[in-house]
Amino acid sequence: MPLLTIATFLPILAGLALIAVPDRSARVAHGVSIAATAATFAVTLAIWTRGVTAGGFAQVEEIAWIPAIGAVYRMGLDGLSMPLVLLTSLLFLLCAIYSARIGERAASYVVLMLMLETTSLGTFMALDGLLFYVFFEVSLVGMYFMIAGWGYEDRQRAALMFFLYTFLGSLPLLLAIIGLYLGSGSFDMRAWIGAPPLTGLAGMLALIAMLFTFAVKIPAFPVHTWLPTAHVQAPTAGSVILAGVMLKFGTYGLVRFAFQMTPDAFAQAGQVILAFGVVSALYGAFAALAQTDLKKMIAYTSVNHMGYVVIGVAVAALAAEPRIRAIALDGATLQMVSHGLVTGALFFLVGMLQDRAHSRDMAGFGGLLGRVPWLGWAFILSAFGSLGLPGLAHFPAEFQIFLATLDTAPWAIVAILAIVVTAALYLRAIAAVFLGPENEKWSAMPDLDRREMTVIVPLLILTVLIGVAPGWLIDIIHTTMAGLGN
Amino acid sequence: MIWLALALLAPLSAGLAIFAFRRAPEALALAGAGLALVGALGLIAGAARANLPAAVLPFLPDLAIRLVADPLTATLALLVAVVAAMVMIFATGYMARDPERVRFFGTMLIFLAAMELLVLAGDWITLLAAWELIGFASYLLIGFWHRRDGVAGAATRAFLYTRSADLGLYVAAFLLIGVAGTSEIAATLATTGAPALIAGLLLLVAAMGKSAQVPMQDWLMRAMAGPTPVSALLHSATLVAAGAILLIRAAPMLPGGALLAIAAVGGVTTVVAGLMALAERDLKRLLAASTASQYGLMLVAIGAGAPVAALLHLIAHSATKSALFLGAGIFQHDRDSTDLEALAGAGRARPAILAGFAVAALALAGIPPLAAYFSKDAILAAALQSPLAPWLLPAALVGSLLTGAYMGRALKALWAEAVGPTLGAVPVMAAGMGALVVLAATLGLSFGALEGLLGAELPKPPLAVPVMGLAVGLGGLALGWKVAPTRLLGPLLTPARNGFALRGGIDALIARPALALATLCERLEARMLAALRRLGLSGLDLGHWLNRGDDRTIGAAIFGIAALGLALGAGARRTDAEIIDRAIFGLVDRSVALGARARRLQSGFIHRELALTVAGIALVIGILLAAPLYL
Repeated sequence: MPLLTIATFLPILAGLALIAVPDRSARVAHGVSIAATAATFAVTLAIWTRGVTAGGFAQVEEIAWIPAIGAVYRMGLDGLSMPLVLLTSLLFLLCAIYSARIGERAASYVVLMLMLETTSLGTFMALDGLLFYVFFEVSLVGMYFMIAGWGYEDRQRAALMFFLYTFLGSLPLLLAIIGLYLGSGSFDMRAWIGAPPLTGLAGMLALIAMLFTFAVKIPAFPVHTWLPTAHVQAPTAGSVILAGVMLKFGTYGLVRFAFQMTPDAFAQAGQVILAFGVVSALYGAFAALAQTDLKKMIAYTSVNHMGYVVIGVAVAALAAEPRIRAIALDGATLQMVSHGLVTGALFFLVGMLQDRAHSRDMAGFGGLLGRVPWLGWAFILSAFGSLGLPGLAHFPAEFQIFLATLDTAPWAIVAILAIVVTAALYLRAIAAVFLGPENEKWSAMPDLDRREMTVIVPLLILTVLIGVAPGWLIDIIHTTMAGLGN
Repeated sequence: MIWLALALLAPLSAGLAIFAFRRAPEALALAGAGLALVGALGLIAGAARANLPAAVLPFLPDLAIRLVADPLTATLALLVAVVAAMVMIFATGYMARDPERVRFFGTMLIFLAAMELLVLAGDWITLLAAWELIGFASYLLIGFWHRRDGVAGAATRAFLYTRSADLGLYVAAFLLIGVAGTSEIAATLATTGAPALIAGLLLLVAAMGKSAQVPMQDWLMRAMAGPTPVSALLHSATLVAAGAILLIRAAPMLPGGALLAIAAVGGVTTVVAGLMALAERDLKRLLAASTASQYGLMLVAIGAGAPVAALLHLIAHSATKSALFLGAGIFQHDRDSTDLEALAGAGRARPAILAGFAVAALALAGIPPLAAYFSKDAILAAALQSPLAPWLLPAALVGSLLTGAYMGRALKALWAEAVGPTLGAVPVMAAGMGALVVLAATLGLSFGALEGLLGAELPKPPLAVPVMGLAVGLGGLALGWKVAPTRLLGPLLTPARNGFALRGGIDALIARPALALATLCERLEARMLAALRRLGLSGLDLGHWLNRGDDRTIGAAIFGIAALGLALGAGARRTDAEIIDRAIFGLVDRSVALGARARRLQSGFIHRELALTVAGIALVIGILLAAPLYL
């Protein structure tokens, strides 16, 4: 069975079916949404049981698509994409459950979410350059409508900024893809990886083009500015998908395209890329420290966490020993997953707080831990996860990244200062919102209900599970990474 | 293996069970701590044999979790378990009326599990993980009464101070693993040369944070905002002990330069923190400053090349200081304060407790034959025989003198004339404290056997050492009892009360620049956003122009897809590309028409019929994917 194709197109087909049915009430729409995302999640679990193979892509599905230009519909997986696919289908399922209370234009909302899921899964699984680009671009349109249609106060402006920024940002990637196509005569990503077609100046130019696109998406300093704006205005589920899934397009592309398809140029530019990663990690942390808006603060910590991923990939390119390279790439990939889970949980929790208080400003809260203990403890656990506490998801990833960094480019270890800054900003937020004397204003605030628990608890369990015993996930990643770039 | 599991998993599962079932927290806590004690006893029995209890568990590729109970780690595991069990007994009395006992005992047990993990760690990742986890548990425990003013700040400060210092452990671990190619601690201790020196100094930084060494002692004083059993367990015998434990374990690797730095930090801290303790007006804070000072003495011993002396003092100090904290907790219960003035005569009202407090105080001051007498002599002997003796010995002597002085002062305050109301008995709290007092008095007897177990023999001190030790101990006690600290400290009083102005120093050095940098980043962000907004508006105009006043939102989206199609077609450079173009443009036209219809339906910026647009986009994908059918 072509499970990859089924997983990819099941959501959009459910969305189209929803358009076709006459009853488009909120109940039906959310029912379809939860059923479709749950089924997709189940299919990705089946894909997971099939596993990946060392040195190449597994579960490849292909049929002729546009033979005239050598574009083929081709999907496949390796240890880099498998965890991201699982993360994507899980987050979309949780978003569908969380969104079940949205009554405003529910059918349109659901169709958009389902379309986004299709394009997100397609982006991670496509093995044809053109196909990848189509999924990559169309996801952008979906997120644009998500922000513009269901966002907060200043949503149109934020949505447009997001769209123009990332759309213009992705044009260089198209150039690079065309370059790779002209160099090799096919759109087969496996061929581009197996025998990188562009070398020398052409390779470097292609790398620069790809780096620009992915840096916008990751986002890395200095092209990260769309992220806080978009996050603050996006609806909660939009923020979760944006941070949890769509930022991973950037880091995924950084490894899959930049690192794998222009390896020589990447190694040459390694120190520069590393420097961007270090600056992003530190800058994101300090900018987050300056925020009083909870959502904006978490958005900036994404810049910090994704900075670590960039560091990991750059270190992998610079590393002389295959063992260190594998450690760096394992860490970078695990970091993508950890960030999706932990930041996803944090955005959900801030959304839940905002649903109750209609405010995200830390100063307006205080002493909520006694009032809403589930919400409070879930936030504390996620915050400590995000600041890299051992036993939670970010620790193994960051440990590996920094371990490889000190071994390869000792100067870059300065980025580790950011873990103290993130600790400071999260503890400050916890103290301001949840500790101290209780603010009477919120004395009627209800704690998490069953729907919200269903969304949060799986994320917290996975955060702990990856922190304590990452083996089940890291082994998949390591299968591929141990042989990458050798 | 089974003993390892018992020592680690018993407290962990008991803690989780308390959180899960939310009942019988005392019974579960005592069971968890008791089983951990049984496990630790089993470990020490196993460590005496050749075949050490050890375990290897998978974690990351090539980086496994290792646990090992060698004589040193098993001894520490037993120490932690004993003190924790006694404190837990005490706490069942102390916390009896607290409505949130569930959270208290659950967190205490999780702390205990993390601390056992730290002492039994056989690799750097486990050690580092446990190191941070005890910091986290300590944050939760210091912040236990989170509704009170100042508590959140104290907890935050404790975590941030120690985490800043933890960077030293992080980088040292990366360095040692990188050089040795394995994360096993025993194997990395063979590191020599520059890496050993750098790693040694980095480990010192981490140890300074946890063991509250100057200039990072401030968090410990504020941590007294937590419940007293927390201070008795964390801030005397376990959490702060982690720093000294780390250096004791790393001692075989440490080169001369690192030893020198360790001795210097310890020497300065034992004097500075001793002065702070003497100037302190609050009993708990006095004990906290004293803790920093005693760990300073241990660092002196490590720096002098006698880690075993440091270990003995760590053990003796754990029993004495936790007993003192528990005594302070009982007085606190009576007077609802830990201020020395408010506590005046609190001891006379409870003679038995005061007797126990006095035994522990004398033990800490180094009066024979109580526990710390032996360890303090060992430290003085090590200082005397070290090449750094000319200034290590005076520092150690002054530290010991100050120990006597502040303990004398505390005893005097508790003894002072004051008639209080008759007090009810506190049998549970007294039992926990009493057991620790007995240990404080008698632990010295076990030191010979312990040296045998560790296979280390302390240097035989010349007769001058015990004489000097006894003299400074007794002299200090007499000074503290007879002379008011205001007179004793003279011009040093104010700086000592202010923590030698180092408090403001650390904040000014780290916190303020960090916040200033954050503000700077925020300003840069605003600049960049403003620039972008201008750019974005030009983009908007572009979209506007392209759609000739048509709906901008839809226009931008369609512009994107159309551009993609165009690019696709251009890339192909084939005649049949026209088909694709036609298909796409047909779709674009249709979408625009749909958009126009939607606009007629509702002339908003965002359309109710967004789904139509989405369907249009879906159609693009469909048409592209269906290309084989019509090409």
